[in-house]
Amino acid sequence: MKGILLIARGHLITAFRERVTLFWFLLFPMFLLVILTLIFSGLGNAGSTHFSVAIINMEPSTGGSKDFAALVESVFEQAATPSEAGKEPLFSLAKPAPGEDKDAFLAREQKAVRLGHLAAVIVIPRGFNQGLMQRILGSDSAQDGENTITIYQDEANAGSQMATSIIEQIISGIDREILARTGKFDEAKAIPTETIWIGNASGEVAYIDFLLPGVILMGFFVTGLFGVPGSILFARDRQILRRYWVTPLTTPRYLAGFALGHVGLCAVQFFFLYILGRFAFGASVNFAHPEPLLFLLLGSVTFLAFGFFIASMAKTANSGMAIANILNMPMMFLGGLFFPVSGLPLLLRVIVFVNPLTYLAAGLRASLGVETVTFSLPLTVGVPLAWILICVLVASRRLKWDVER
Amino acid sequence: MLANDQLIRVTGLKKHYKDVLAVDGISFSVPRASVFTILGPNGAGKTTTLEILEGIREPDAGEIEVFGIRVSRVDRTVKERMGILLQEANFEPYLKVKEVLRLFASFFKHPLPVEEILDRIALTEKANAHVKTLSGGQKQRLALGAALVNNPDLIFLDEPTTGLDPQARRNIWSIITDLKGEGKAIILTTHYMEEAEALSDHVCIMDHGIIIAEGSPQELSAQLGQETIIEFTAGELPADAIAPLIEGCKTARMDGELVTVETEDLIATMEHLLAWAKGRDLELKNMVVRQPNLEDVFLSLTGRRIRE
Repeated sequence: MKGILLIARGHLITAFRERVTLFWFLLFPMFLLVILTLIFSGLGNAGSTHFSVAIINMEPSTGGSKDFAALVESVFEQAATPSEAGKEPLFSLAKPAPGEDKDAFLAREQKAVRLGHLAAVIVIPRGFNQGLMQRILGSDSAQDGENTITIYQDEANAGSQMATSIIEQIISGIDREILARTGKFDEAKAIPTETIWIGNASGEVAYIDFLLPGVILMGFFVTGLFGVPGSILFARDRQILRRYWVTPLTTPRYLAGFALGHVGLCAVQFFFLYILGRFAFGASVNFAHPEPLLFLLLGSVTFLAFGFFIASMAKTANSGMAIANILNMPMMFLGGLFFPVSGLPLLLRVIVFVNPLTYLAAGLRASLGVETVTFSLPLTVGVPLAWILICVLVASRRLKWDVER
Repeated sequence: MLANDQLIRVTGLKKHYKDVLAVDGISFSVPRASVFTILGPNGAGKTTTLEILEGIREPDAGEIEVFGIRVSRVDRTVKERMGILLQEANFEPYLKVKEVLRLFASFFKHPLPVEEILDRIALTEKANAHVKTLSGGQKQRLALGAALVNNPDLIFLDEPTTGLDPQARRNIWSIITDLKGEGKAIILTTHYMEEAEALSDHVCIMDHGIIIAEGSPQELSAQLGQETIIEFTAGELPADAIAPLIEGCKTARMDGELVTVETEDLIATMEHLLAWAKGRDLELKNMVVRQPNLEDVFLSLTGRRIRE
């Protein structure tokens, strides 16, 4: 196991120490992300700590110290008021106009969340005052939801998540105000909140959210297509591999270490590109779910297999790079990484449909909620898996691990 | 353990590539605490022999007995006790010296501490240097270190000093001598006759896939009898110019400007040689009179120099 880890480590640190490799596997994708984002999307909104939220108080106003719903509403109104120093408030707050149908207002604002125009919608339910009072007094007679504030948010939108977190903190602070009014504050009886993810709407996402998954996959693609055969063929031609084979190290152990190093390299790429996209351009896609992570892993392994395939077809490192270049352009630009590829001429569509990048990009974006589901899940996963199988089969038959005599 | 403490015994080893018979039924054995040198020109079969014993290639026929175990091919178990320095000593250029040794140590079950290896190959000060910054001699010492990380009993050194300056070569010789002193068996190939003579306990000369002579360097040189070698240059001479010289000696040949004469009667041959030069108004330069060495043995056996 130690040998596998050290091979993986060697693969990783070599990539970091070699400037050319570092450029292609890290700086180039980052550069591309910056260029494409600057060209195709507006800037200036990213990084702002100002959130647009809506609040709907369904509880009829009763006035007095027991009108907790009005208290909650007033706290958010304060948070939406500019300070005396002219500092921008935390929230801009939308409320139903007097006499406006609150349910219609809610539906409209929920749509605004889905479109990314609004960070969250806060709903104080009808019966909130009574329900909360009963809860404070220890009675369980309040009906479900009567004392629960609902927050509608878009989980795939980082701004929406951040606003929700702040809203929850504000509501938690309101508990202390209620303590002052009732003198019976109990942590267990604090105002409960419920967060509801209402998703995102296709076609209305920021370009950076569309682009970032594509550039990450492009980074994996370049690393697999050029880095894998480059490393293997260089090591074979220079007889570095031969030096390994005269030790007890076996080919499967070497491959395991190499593959681990490759996936680690992809993880580093992902990390830097995500940080750049998130903090420089305000990308809001959330990768922290099993489905997008599995698509990233599938992408990394697919291009690792392609790398082995190229290494098996090439006699030298130079010819390996030539083969990689031939595959590079059509695969990269006809895989929907940077722009949608629907509506292309028939000949190009053929390349699009056999290109594993098409399915990986579509699958990853769908899993992130930035694109509608284009292909069925079996097709989205099946095509890259089929390519892995083909590449591994060819490589296992053709790949020479030692220089020929 | 094999008889006489032989660490490796090879019997009837054969290997061919397509129509070429690279190794044709050779047999030898190597005892503990000895340096066994295989000499031969390019294509003699020595590299193939080594590659079979190193586990890179499988033999077509023959028996290999390593550490007392008969094996059809050299496997992982055997490799645990073998150290190998290949002819091309390349490593990942962007790894540090200690990282390379740590990597190789991880391939074995019972490696030596990396610091001990660094000390042995005198690269402690270069432990954090990248491989690509090392000189040729330092790279070769690193390659030797990688071959020693598992404290092997049997060590293969394939042309360990090729391309090195005299000082770097002496450093490697010193390490080899120490290893032999520790009881390790070393199988060496080299193009340098003085290296074979200085280090070897037993020399085996291969040509066309077979062993044409073997013995200690002294025994092999003694095969040439009481001969003395005279070498000199006399400028560019016509091919038949040295024909008269043959009358006064055993053999005379010309290799470029270098004329080599073998004789069993030094005084008579010298008189004849000087008369020959005076008669042709030749100036004899760089004249050396010496006893035969392994190069001469090889020349007398094959009719050509080892580097041809």
